Amino acid sequence: MLLPPTDQSIVARRQAIAAALRAIVPDGVVADESGLATFDADALSAYHQMPLVCVLPSTREQVSEVLKFAVAEGIPIVPRGAGTSLSGGALPREDGILIGMGRMKRILEVDYENGCVVVEPGVTNANITKAVEANGFYYAPDPSSQIACTIGGNVAENSGGLHCLKYGLTTNNLLGVTMVLPGGEIVTLGGKSGAQGGLDLLGLVTGSEGLLGVVVEVVVKILRKAPVTRTLMASFDTVPAAGKCVAAVIAGGVVPAAMEFMDRRAAEAIEAFNQPGYPAGAEAILIIDADGVEADVTHDMARITEIVTACGGRAVEATDEKQRARIWSGRKAAFAAMGRIAPDMICMDGTIPRHALPQVLEEMAQLSDHYGLGFCNVFHAGDGNLHPLILFDVMKDGEFERAEAFGADILRLCVKVGGVLTGEHGVGIEKRDLMTDMFSESDLEQQHRVKCAFDSGGLFNPGKVFPTLSVCIEQGHIHAHGGKLPHPNIPRY
Amino acid sequence: MRADSEAQVIEAVRAARADAAPLEIVAGGTRRGVGRPMQGSHGADLAQLDVSGLSGIRKYEPEELIVTAAPATPLSEIVQALAEKNQRLGFDPADWSQLLGSNGVATLGGAVSADASGSGKLRHGPARDSLLGFHAVNGLGEAFRGGSRVVKNVTGFDLPKLMCGAFGTLAVLTEVTFRVYPRPSHSVTLCLEDMTIDDGLAALRKIGRSALEPTGLAYLPGALLGEAGLPDAGNGAALIRLEGAPQPLEEKVAMAHGLLGRVSARRVEDGIGLFSRIGSGALFAGAVGDVWRVLVAPADAPRVAKDLNASSWLADWAGGVIWLAAPPQDAARIRAIAAAAHGQAMLLRAAPDQRASLGLYAPQPPALAELTARVKAAFDPLSLFNPGRF
Repeated sequence: MLLPPTDQSIVARRQAIAAALRAIVPDGVVADESGLATFDADALSAYHQMPLVCVLPSTREQVSEVLKFAVAEGIPIVPRGAGTSLSGGALPREDGILIGMGRMKRILEVDYENGCVVVEPGVTNANITKAVEANGFYYAPDPSSQIACTIGGNVAENSGGLHCLKYGLTTNNLLGVTMVLPGGEIVTLGGKSGAQGGLDLLGLVTGSEGLLGVVVEVVVKILRKAPVTRTLMASFDTVPAAGKCVAAVIAGGVVPAAMEFMDRRAAEAIEAFNQPGYPAGAEAILIIDADGVEADVTHDMARITEIVTACGGRAVEATDEKQRARIWSGRKAAFAAMGRIAPDMICMDGTIPRHALPQVLEEMAQLSDHYGLGFCNVFHAGDGNLHPLILFDVMKDGEFERAEAFGADILRLCVKVGGVLTGEHGVGIEKRDLMTDMFSESDLEQQHRVKCAFDSGGLFNPGKVFPTLSVCIEQGHIHAHGGKLPHPNIPRY
Repeated sequence: MRADSEAQVIEAVRAARADAAPLEIVAGGTRRGVGRPMQGSHGADLAQLDVSGLSGIRKYEPEELIVTAAPATPLSEIVQALAEKNQRLGFDPADWSQLLGSNGVATLGGAVSADASGSGKLRHGPARDSLLGFHAVNGLGEAFRGGSRVVKNVTGFDLPKLMCGAFGTLAVLTEVTFRVYPRPSHSVTLCLEDMTIDDGLAALRKIGRSALEPTGLAYLPGALLGEAGLPDAGNGAALIRLEGAPQPLEEKVAMAHGLLGRVSARRVEDGIGLFSRIGSGALFAGAVGDVWRVLVAPADAPRVAKDLNASSWLADWAGGVIWLAAPPQDAARIRAIAAAAHGQAMLLRAAPDQRASLGLYAPQPPALAELTARVKAAFDPLSLFNPGRF
């Protein structure tokens, strides 16, 4: 992995730059080595880099002044929320200012009448729900890192979660943002009305991975919590049967709240880990949630059970909340369970058309043989988002490199069958050099021109997303060693 | 000039670029009267690029909930094809022909470019929430694509969002891919009669906030009820559309009654037809004056509607949009009321000189206007496409 070369003349000015930032944010500049070490990586923890200096603004005006200063001085900027990115989006630069948004964490307004909440970017995803749940509301996108990740980071990454099939990604749950452009100008895109009166720049900025500016305020939709949620587990003797079932549920007019797939390897590892009661011998297991009002859920569950049976599966519905939680506890422990059976693993994230699942699993098994590494699959089957886990041992010579090559081949396979490189983790540095596998030169040039419309100096998060340098080795991915994940207290699923 | 294939679009754009001669992009032609009248360079007539030949469904995979079509595919054709599989487009595309008095055939690409989202937008969001990917030719005469053919994708910038509501000013679309949604087998439209603005819109917001997943929530004041075919609904009607399989639907209807503290509400016979006329602006086809869409936060709608004080108006999306007809001299007042409510007043139908002076939306703050201009130039640096329209 190569990043644009460090500008040593900036590094040489480190003290002066820190002093200038202190003049803007007197109590929020981190420049000492031990302080900076906190920020030297995000959740793509195979990669570390100490930032030049870190600034922690508390107001939008401070953000604006910091950006004006950085642009005037030609210093790269890397925005950071909670640092939970799985693709290296917040990896610092040796010659760059890391701008951490964690201090801007006020909930500014809860507006039930309009079904929205106005927050600063450093509020965590889970705290938005916490602020409104007593009144029966919640914020729908639920990335697995939701107890730690911030809404500003969610906007940058267009974060998803288990329930996007029915409730959409971040982009579908945003009404507006206020952001500071690289030149320091503050613009508001949308708002409580959702109306922008011009191009949909809100849609463009969402998922732009910190390349276009810094978000300082966010308006999100909140939804009424569904009165009823029911869960069904279905087991199948073959993977194609499970794949057929997923397609049949969708074609049958049911939109489940979640529809998760696990292959045999994953299910067995999970069963050994926390005994959620997954049936032994099944080649594939689906966990399906339906939510809504009682009448709709009863109807959907009956329909789903019918379809599962018709596809040759065995359906078991959770009879109470405890059993429901138990079924889900297995799925949510998938990463931890894999940590038990292999010293290291990386988690990939691609999306495929649902119908391609059997073919993709078959070809992945061939790749597994080729690279001599084990793998298993958990899969947001409803929306085709695949999370293969590749198992290896970093202490064995060459295994890490083989695991990364295996991972890159899986993503190329996703693209080959009509899918994409990333469904929810972002490109960051991790998949940057695979972008040419998915996009043509003119596709990438068009995106690059859009980037330049915001950031003509190329100072915002340089080296991320776009393969501006010559193609080189692909690296990265979420990397866990000895069963220890980065941010060990955050569940990952 | 016609272009029936991507190659021909490229050829046409390169020729226009060489001559610095801008183009009006036309397919069905039903929305030509929206936005600032376009002008050629140096006052010359604007050449048309007719892309109506880029038509037809290319790939429809019901079990993937994905459809790919050429942009000039008639709306009616795609709606019909999806209906055969009990599916539909989430943004409930609206045909503005009747409102605008235009001839021609409303197309999918036109609906996306105008973000002509209908009443059903309430449930599945506007066009931008459904457009997953596209192919297009930019102002450099280069073919490119944005997005993909899968529902969940965060690879690179989300360019499909930009195409929605851009009124053809960024690129010439050559292919569009949408996610589609199941279409419930039955629907019921309830009519709460004799409702004031405040009570009617409060009832709609209450249903909107519930878990009933309504697909239409509109308020019609007394003056519009005759036009809407509800002449005996008193001083105002709140309309609620619920959907589902027959039995759960009846239970949801009962729940709605419970939420509203009512024993029963009248059912509108042709609720689907009525909401289609609401969402397409057809109820204002015969109205005198300019026609506006004012987008506001739903809870502000009662106050904004009273301030607007139009003789002919309605609210859709539980108050998120107010349609109104007003005399041309009211324009500044309407824009000021929308701005005070942090909303947007979109001038949808007006005489050419009125559209020329007012534009589709109010001018943006300078920093945003400059950014918008730079983003447009990133696609079409010579302003070849629909120049000045938006």
